[in-house]
Amino acid sequence: MGKVKDIIRIFPALLLLLIAPLSHAGTDAGKETYLKRCAGCHGKDGTGNGPAARFLNPAPRDLTAGVFKWKTTPFDEPMPSGDDLYAVIAGHNAGPGWSGLGNTAMPGWSDTLSKGEIRDVAAYLKKLGGLDAPRKPSISASAGPSATAAAIETGKRLFKDRCAECHGAQGRGNGAKRLKDDWGGRTWPRDLTKSWTFRRGGGREAVYATMTVGIPGTQMPSFADPKSKKMLTNGERWAVAGYAASIDEPAKTPGTDTVVRAARTDGVLPSTPADAAWAKTAYASFFLTPQIIAGDRLYAPALDAISIKAVYNEKDIAFLVEWDDRTEGIPRDAKSMEIAGGEVEPDSVALEFPAEPPRDGDAQLPCFGMGDSLGQVNIWQWKNAVLEPLRLIDANGPRNMRERDAVASGLSANGVYDNGAWRVVFKRPLRTATPEIQFEEGRFIPIAFAAWDGSNGEKGSKHVMTPWFWLRLEPPADRTAYVWPIVAGILAFAAEWAWLVKRP
Amino acid sequence: MPRIVKFSLIIIAVYCLLKIPGVFFTRPIPASVLSVYLLFAVVATLLAMTATGEGATGFIEPIASLFADPSKRAARNIVLVIVPIAAAWIAYAALRPDDAPPPIVRSIHPAPPAAFTAYGRTIELASLTNPYRASEKENPSQFRAAVDEGAEIYFKNCFYCHGAKLDGAGHYARGLSPSPVPFRGTDTIAQLQESYVFWRVAKGGPGLPREGGPWLSAMPAWEDALTEDEAWKVVTFIYDYTGNRPRSWAK
Ligand code: HEC
Ligand code: HEC
Ligand code: HEC
Repeated sequence: MGKVKDIIRIFPALLLLLIAPLSHAGTDAGKETYLKRCAGCHGKDGTGNGPAARFLNPAPRDLTAGVFKWKTTPFDEPMPSGDDLYAVIAGHNAGPGWSGLGNTAMPGWSDTLSKGEIRDVAAYLKKLGGLDAPRKPSISASAGPSATAAAIETGKRLFKDRCAECHGAQGRGNGAKRLKDDWGGRTWPRDLTKSWTFRRGGGREAVYATMTVGIPGTQMPSFADPKSKKMLTNGERWAVAGYAASIDEPAKTPGTDTVVRAARTDGVLPSTPADAAWAKTAYASFFLTPQIIAGDRLYAPALDAISIKAVYNEKDIAFLVEWDDRTEGIPRDAKSMEIAGGEVEPDSVALEFPAEPPRDGDAQLPCFGMGDSLGQVNIWQWKNAVLEPLRLIDANGPRNMRERDAVASGLSANGVYDNGAWRVVFKRPLRTATPEIQFEEGRFIPIAFAAWDGSNGEKGSKHVMTPWFWLRLEPPADRTAYVWPIVAGILAFAAEWAWLVKRP
Repeated sequence: MPRIVKFSLIIIAVYCLLKIPGVFFTRPIPASVLSVYLLFAVVATLLAMTATGEGATGFIEPIASLFADPSKRAARNIVLVIVPIAAAWIAYAALRPDDAPPPIVRSIHPAPPAAFTAYGRTIELASLTNPYRASEKENPSQFRAAVDEGAEIYFKNCFYCHGAKLDGAGHYARGLSPSPVPFRGTDTIAQLQESYVFWRVAKGGPGLPREGGPWLSAMPAWEDALTEDEAWKVVTFIYDYTGNRPRSWAK
């Protein structure tokens, strides 16, 4: 009986499926797809005022205005090509863990919409924005001259002159300017050491395309415009693109690491970020996610990733915590306030550990967001402040925090801001007399991170954070791990020899 | 057929037989048990095939000829090198220190409580129903209005994590662990009753029982931020958008 009922229930749906293709065509079908899939952000009328809009930076585009940022047509051709529209909707520049325009909320739709549906919705967007076909062909961003060392050197010089005012001397996006786009939104020049955040994707060709086309609607100009004083020749653009691609730091791309592996050393531990000893250990990098779970929430963060190194000796452990921040927020400093556009809070970073790490995998942990009534966490918070830069906090949830003397636990920290990056070193003895996290070799210890960009209005519960990851003090390499395999190999060979080769 | 080939074929057949439950049914034989069975099979077959003197020589013969016959020198040298390397590798793999972090064991859909408190009262799951569900047939325009409002609530509160495509891949999802749940597809809300989904929305990660790992979940408890009516509208929306049907009591 159930079967019959099911068929009766499915029947109207089947009928609809059959009729659907007949009634849909071109922009009408596109409009329907648009209203279902895109209106939540871009708005029912396409003006970019969907319910999600006020939580996003960059904001969903006003699609009626006809301004496109990620097109391939030349700077003096406002219309995108049909392929541009298709590509930006389908999502072609997948970064780690994201299918759409890198580091924006604009998803890629190729896993949800068919090719025909994407074409229909693109046709609808053309109608919505009153777009004509472009009169100029797309630029070609392939087959540039190769990036020789000399070209990169030229590129570096030109970069200082043309790009550094916005992108910073080392390309971390820390230009000393407050920038706005044509729609009044705050824009941050891209951090060029993080190609995983690029909308067009990483690599020399993509940077060349961005420099040649510019980014319409933003202050990032085209460097191919002969009317501009900053115009660069084609060869110069390739040179700068080569340099920009060379400062990428793929080793700090977040998304795959889950363990901070502290290396064992016999010497003294590095105590400043600049110490050469850090070069010997590898980074573990994690995405920073804004706190959108409870209390006062942060929707448009300015920080997106954090990288950690750790070393230990028989007495102490030291952590190097690095994150790119375009602004060194100095409270009450006039220049800082001008860039921030208001009050500046001190920049800050925190490490979090459970006060008592679990003995086995499935034992209960404290809540990753500052612990809970059953599980206590220890928080080490460093602030860019003259008074009380380091705080040691025991927390059982955000409303139950107690501060403790950091010096009594032997905890110390010092931070340096340089060209768009914070580097903070934390140091503590492995074992302390107080009831708090104790570091034991070989054990997996939960660790989590939080950071505050004071120039982005971040303070208190408005910050970025990570879930629990792991810290492990790696035991020194065990030589026996190699002895037995070698013995086994020799024995096997001896047996072969004795039994087979020397057989009478 | 040479005995050694016969022997290899038998062992491969046994191996395939042992693998069947894993391929065709959901429960594979655990790797440790499988290797014990395989060892038995190897020993038993060897014993059976070498029980007679003739059998034994037939078995050894091809191997021995590899070493006696000068024309097979190259093959012999390869065997001489490969066997010790294989032995060393097996020993290395067995002794390699395990440096993977301990697994986090967590039930994705733990059993819900019989009742929970939210919105200032005790709510029994058994008698909890979606106030908009009946209107789907009786009053379609009222139902559409509820879905539209649900969409608006979703695009203000949920899409960062659960995604604009309801695929569990919002733009902040990649920084969360465990990942936000996708609503499309057939293995999440399609398997759940609406009362369960309402409970999850109202109480969030903190409301999970112990086996759900409440200390890991980033899912907010929405009873503080959404009204009961809003919570039902967003639940109605996530079913409607994905074309999923809530599981009903009658089963
Ligand atoms: C979750 C919110 C969200 C949804 C849903 C969404 N978009 Fe977007 N979209 C954005 C944001 C944010 C931007 C701006 C990105 C930027 O400025 O770099 C954008 C930009 C665009 C652009 C401009 C690209 C350019 O080259 O400048 C187009 C076209 C677009 N979206 C089309 C669509 C279509 C079509 C859909 C539905 C199939 C859609 N969007 C759904 C958030 C969204
Ligand atoms: C006046 C300020 C300014 C100058 C000068 C400038 N940029 Fe930019 N740049 C920006 C801004 C702002 C953005 C981000 C725009 C957005 O996505 O909203 C950007 C983005 C970028 C991107 C990211 C593209 C992507 O795919 O995401 C690259 C690459 C880039 N710029 C390279 C350069 C290079 C190379 C130069 C020098 C030749 C340069 N920029 C000069 C402001 C500037
Ligand atoms: C900060 C990110 C975040 C936001 C915002 C969020 N969720 Fe979740 N949600 C999660 C995560 C992570 C999980 C998976 C862990 C769990 O089950 O608690 C989840 C699980 C769920 C589940 C359980 C599904 C199942 O199959 O068991 C439902 C239902 C749900 N969310 C609904 C919502 C609704 C509705 C909203 C908006 C009102 C929302 N979520 C907002 C992160 C989020």
